[in-house]
Amino acid sequence: MLNRLLAALALTLVLAPSALAQSGDPERGSVIAFTCSGCHGIPFYKNVYPSYSVPRIAGQNEGYIVSALKAYRSGARKHATMQAQANTLSDQDIADIAAYFVSLAEESE
Amino acid sequence: MKYPVLCAAAVGLLLVAGSVQASGNPGRGQELSSQVCASCHGVDGNMALADDYPILAGQHRDYLVFALQAYRSGDRDHAVMSSFAQNLSDQDIDDLAAWFSRQDGLGELTFD
Repeated sequence: MLNRLLAALALTLVLAPSALAQSGDPERGSVIAFTCSGCHGIPFYKNVYPSYSVPRIAGQNEGYIVSALKAYRSGARKHATMQAQANTLSDQDIADIAAYFVSLAEESE
Repeated sequence: MKYPVLCAAAVGLLLVAGSVQASGNPGRGQELSSQVCASCHGVDGNMALADDYPILAGQHRDYLVFALQAYRSGDRDHAVMSSFAQNLSDQDIDDLAAWFSRQDGLGELTFD
């Protein structure tokens, strides 16, 4: 009986953090996303060679931010700076950054 | 005397025509959007059929042009978008970008 209880408890402990991991922690994201502000926090900042405006992120879908960052990380989507950034990010980091961006957009509404 | 004036007028016309083409025709973009993009992104680009589809409304015009060209050339790979972009001319892309960039949607991030 005790063994079963312990097993259930252990299982809960294992499952709980992974459930949290899915949703993303905006507070942790705010620390990691500091780097992003260098380009995405400056209105009308330009990418060069080729020249185009750095995309707007405020109000973007959380799931799209996650999929875009993962695509940069895997190399499926190419951009020297974004690939270099995304290479340093874990799944948890990416979820947290996306959660932070969504929280920023909600604040400004 | 006559020639410089004519030349200036011709250059002026070329510049105007060039800038109109570069900025795209949002009205035609709206038409195209309703035929091609709307079922996934909404006509104005504020809808997302799936959570990992982007909002397009309010995105920078030149970034939209860049992204669509990248899907068309194969630089950016996406099962659905790559095939749609294949059918777009440069003019189509400019018109779509002009349309979506003029809609209310995305904004600038203001970091804390």
